[in-house]
Amino acid sequence: MAEPAMQLIGLKKQIGSKLIVKGLDFDIQPGEVFGFLGPNGAGKTTTIRMMVGLIRISEGDVRIQGKSIKSDFKGAIRHVGAIVENPELYGFMSGYKNLLVFSRMIPGITRDRIDEVVKLVGLEKSISQKVKRYSLGMRQRLGIAQALLHRPSILILDEPTNGLDPSGIREIRHYIRKLAEEENVAVIVSSHLLSEMELMCDRIGILKNGELISIQEVHSTDKDVPEEMVKIDCSAAQLENAKQLLQEKFGIAAVDNNNQLLFPISRDQMPPIIKALAVADIEMYAVAVERKTLEDKFLHVIGENVIE
Amino acid sequence: MSSNFFQLVRNEQTKLYSQLATWIMLGILVVVVLGFALITRTADNFTTDYDEATWKQELQDQNESLAEIDQADTQILINNYRIENDLMPDGMTAWDFLYDSNMLTSVLSLLTIIVAGGIIANEYRWGTIKLLLIRPATRTKIFFAKYTSVLLFALTALIVLFIFSWLFGMLLFGLGGDGSVLQVKDGKVVEVSVWTRIAQDYGLQLVKLVVWATFAFMISAALRNGALAIGTAIFLMFAGSSIVLFIYDKPFAKYVLFSNLDLTQFTTGMKLVEDLTLTFAVVTIIVYYLIFLVIGWVLFTKRDVAGN
Ligand SMILES: Nc1ncnc2c1ncn2[C@@H]1O[C@H](COP(=O)(O)OP(=O)(O)O)[C@@H](O)[C@H]1O
Ligand SMILES: [Mg+2]
Repeated sequence: MAEPAMQLIGLKKQIGSKLIVKGLDFDIQPGEVFGFLGPNGAGKTTTIRMMVGLIRISEGDVRIQGKSIKSDFKGAIRHVGAIVENPELYGFMSGYKNLLVFSRMIPGITRDRIDEVVKLVGLEKSISQKVKRYSLGMRQRLGIAQALLHRPSILILDEPTNGLDPSGIREIRHYIRKLAEEENVAVIVSSHLLSEMELMCDRIGILKNGELISIQEVHSTDKDVPEEMVKIDCSAAQLENAKQLLQEKFGIAAVDNNNQLLFPISRDQMPPIIKALAVADIEMYAVAVERKTLEDKFLHVIGENVIE
Repeated sequence: MSSNFFQLVRNEQTKLYSQLATWIMLGILVVVVLGFALITRTADNFTTDYDEATWKQELQDQNESLAEIDQADTQILINNYRIENDLMPDGMTAWDFLYDSNMLTSVLSLLTIIVAGGIIANEYRWGTIKLLLIRPATRTKIFFAKYTSVLLFALTALIVLFIFSWLFGMLLFGLGGDGSVLQVKDGKVVEVSVWTRIAQDYGLQLVKLVVWATFAFMISAALRNGALAIGTAIFLMFAGSSIVLFIYDKPFAKYVLFSNLDLTQFTTGMKLVEDLTLTFAVVTIIVYYLIFLVIGWVLFTKRDVAGN
């Protein structure tokens, strides 16, 4: 396996007496889109601020291309492009001037590169306009442009879809996939919305109260894990009976969620199960076999709905 | 390394002069100079023009009336020197006006404090600090690039003050003479060249300017609050000499910055605190200055850049 683009090693942040990030350990690979999912206040932004050296690391370390952000800030940060929280740029300058100013901070960025990045994010028409007249979507795009100027191998975007309309979200998703697939950039995206992450990420880590609860592959390549999810709507009184039956006869550990039984299974295994339930006089109102969403996966792994 | 620093300073200047407020401030400075020139022109006692035939008599008369008030008035020596050496006074010239404009350095100080107080705090207010500090440039370099930019602004404004004072002076009073003046030194009349006089008149004022601008810069860097930085610096600059009136007889008075800051007290001999010497004052000012810079630098480089 290639050297990870970024490594988090026992990363902790304490502010005052409060432990906000409680020891994160994971690697992010080149060309991977990693989603950082968690409710508001989970510690996503705090973690990202530590990744880019804006706040001090209380314990542990972040290594970027093998270089520690703590002891070799310049060596590490040159591989990173980021937007932390909102894409805030200089409103009194044009988009182009903003990019020019940031380009001067890193040697070797030519005017051609600026033009290239402007084109990539599709801001050619409005690049000479003052940024204070930009819409949020345009600002988000300019934010991405400044993050990409120096061809970073890691792109960090904190809630990039916040406040964007569906077409804006689609666009961001498109850039992110393109960068990861065509330029082998490792992208870290944070969000509090699972549905968005699912469409753009390769892996998703769930953060809750400063702890990483689970990391899931979005498109599982593992053939043994069924890709379908069954939902059985049955009478509340018989829920426990049904659960027991499934466990005893088929070895299935179903989860109950709002009077529905949920379990992963592949479609062709269903007829005998339905038959067995019917024979046992379980009253079923609906049986649905759905493609498993990420939410179902997480639900199954964690056993409760952790996402807000 | 140094070219990198140069680029950072250049960026700060780009940002400064992209703001309308900066141009308004320089515009105000020009308007103030013009107003001062017009007031000086209309106050006619300043602008007596001497007549080729009668000027010696006029100076004699002036001496007699001066002597009635104060026998030791140095103007009497200067007038006698003119009569003996046949040097007719020019009346008010552009050069004289340029010297008098040194009073306007308090306006210059005000503007510089506004720039110094905002230059770091604004980046926090705009949120752009998060983009500025995640580049391969150390915080120390960014701190000193910003400080250099403040001093460059003061220098620019000083040049604007010079040019417009001279220009309006020329239009309203005419050029006349080479700008040298007669001064009494140790009981003898000596001729002082234009540049010596400018250095004298402006130099002492600029010490104050630099100290208070540095103070505002420190607050801006340490507390990230521009209004507070500008407010306290302006207050202390104007209230400073009044504060001395309350403490001048206390034992600690000579260690207080305000007691030392007005260096003109050593040229006029009217010391604010009795046992002050020029050397002591200069050393004290330098110590305060360095303390301001170090506090600002330490807090800017060490403090977390966390949410507001
Ligand atoms: N500077 C700070 N001082 C104290 N607490 C903070 C500070 N910054 C963040 N927090 C707390 O840390 C937690 C995580 O915040 P944050 O990282 O912004 O979460 P997220 O980005 O996941 O919404 C929150 O409970 C927040 O109140
Ligand atoms: Mg956040």
